[in-house]
Amino acid sequence: MSCDDVRPRLSGYLDGDLDPERGSVVRGHLRTCEACRQIATDEAALRDRLRELAPVDPPASMWAGIQARLAKEEVAHSQRPAWRRALARWAPAAPRFAAGGLLAAAAVALLVWRAQGGPDAAKPVMPDQAPIAASSPTKVTGPTQVVVGADSSTDVTADLATEAARVTATYADAAEELLELAGEARGRWTTEQKDAFDAHVVDLRASITAAAEGRPRQRAWRELIRYLQGAVVRDDITLAGVSQ
Amino acid sequence: MSELVETVSTLPAPTLADPRPRVAAALADDAQLIAACRRGEARAMEMLYHQYKRRVFGMAHRIVGSSDAEEVAQEVFVRIFRALERFRGDSALSTWIYRLTVNASLSHLAKRGRRHEVGDDTLGELPAPPATERDPGLASRIEAALALLPAGYRAILVLHDVEGLSHEECAAILECRVGTSKSQQHKARARIREILGPQLHGHRDTKDGT
Repeated sequence: MSCDDVRPRLSGYLDGDLDPERGSVVRGHLRTCEACRQIATDEAALRDRLRELAPVDPPASMWAGIQARLAKEEVAHSQRPAWRRALARWAPAAPRFAAGGLLAAAAVALLVWRAQGGPDAAKPVMPDQAPIAASSPTKVTGPTQVVVGADSSTDVTADLATEAARVTATYADAAEELLELAGEARGRWTTEQKDAFDAHVVDLRASITAAAEGRPRQRAWRELIRYLQGAVVRDDITLAGVSQ
Repeated sequence: MSELVETVSTLPAPTLADPRPRVAAALADDAQLIAACRRGEARAMEMLYHQYKRRVFGMAHRIVGSSDAEEVAQEVFVRIFRALERFRGDSALSTWIYRLTVNASLSHLAKRGRRHEVGDDTLGELPAPPATERDPGLASRIEAALALLPAGYRAILVLHDVEGLSHEECAAILECRVGTSKSQQHKARARIREILGPQLHGHRDTKDGT
């Protein structure tokens, strides 16, 4: 083994991260190569000195500063309108929604694959797979009722399905909260606006029910959430295009 | 034969990393502490602060430098207390806190638009090291050399070599692969050795045996 092969492995060797075979090869090289041995000695010294660097104590005033900043943020938070607090609560989950959508799609693909070609008797059942659903005694009606095989505790499809269901449940929670907020704003709307709002929400809910499990259904949930956010944020319903 | 024995005895020995003690009880303690903080209990919040203040401040200090360390550490703790409600326990509390610290530090550096806390001439101002085996001034030179590294190299060296975290933990904090953590650490060590040069062991001639 040459110096060029050994040097990238020195950190791992010195930290005990190499397996015995590779460690032995590096050690054998170090016995015969003074230049690499010198680098290893330097690196070992550096590693030890870094580990010995003294802890840095924060100033005594830091806790008081944190408390002051927390208090200031809480006062500012309490003065924000309800819709902004709700959006702030859901905003951090947005990337998870996207990731969840991908996981849900993967779950659907895996479940379908297992249902179509898997040798197991306990096949997953999906509501949008009509022939399979028809031949199965299990009826799936909701996002949290995805059924997987009996060995689901060790099956990745179980995790994926659970994640998909969890994301859908999160959408449902978000929509529920936004509907409550819309209810509060409703008192300021005209009768025509209320009717248009109600009709559109019914349409969007019907779209959710009709959409296939997985990404299409999550897309439908997002449509509803976007509409509700618009209604709550603007606090005035734009009727144009609503009663389509 | 005696020469070989002497050579072998001077070989740097590999050592297993010295991980910080982590026991199952700590997880239960964390869960109780988190629950109490979520309820807004002042004592619990102060306990959590005291438990992590040195590490958070120390990491921020070494990544962003002394002048901005308190600001960043305060921001990290405010984020911790504000976001604890959403902490899902997917990772250990300590991993989550370190991730917040590293992210806040790197974001701060990006906003500040400066890569280094100290000027490139800092090392030149440091007194010449005495060629002794145990150099008391070496720690300050290493701190100064750390400040000259690119931020990413600084982060991995602080996490792995200063804080003693494993590569698995570093990868979880930096949200990269374990292999990436290892290669970054190797490059960071090579770079800091290059910056320190002969100061690491006092002045010495080196030979290249490649």
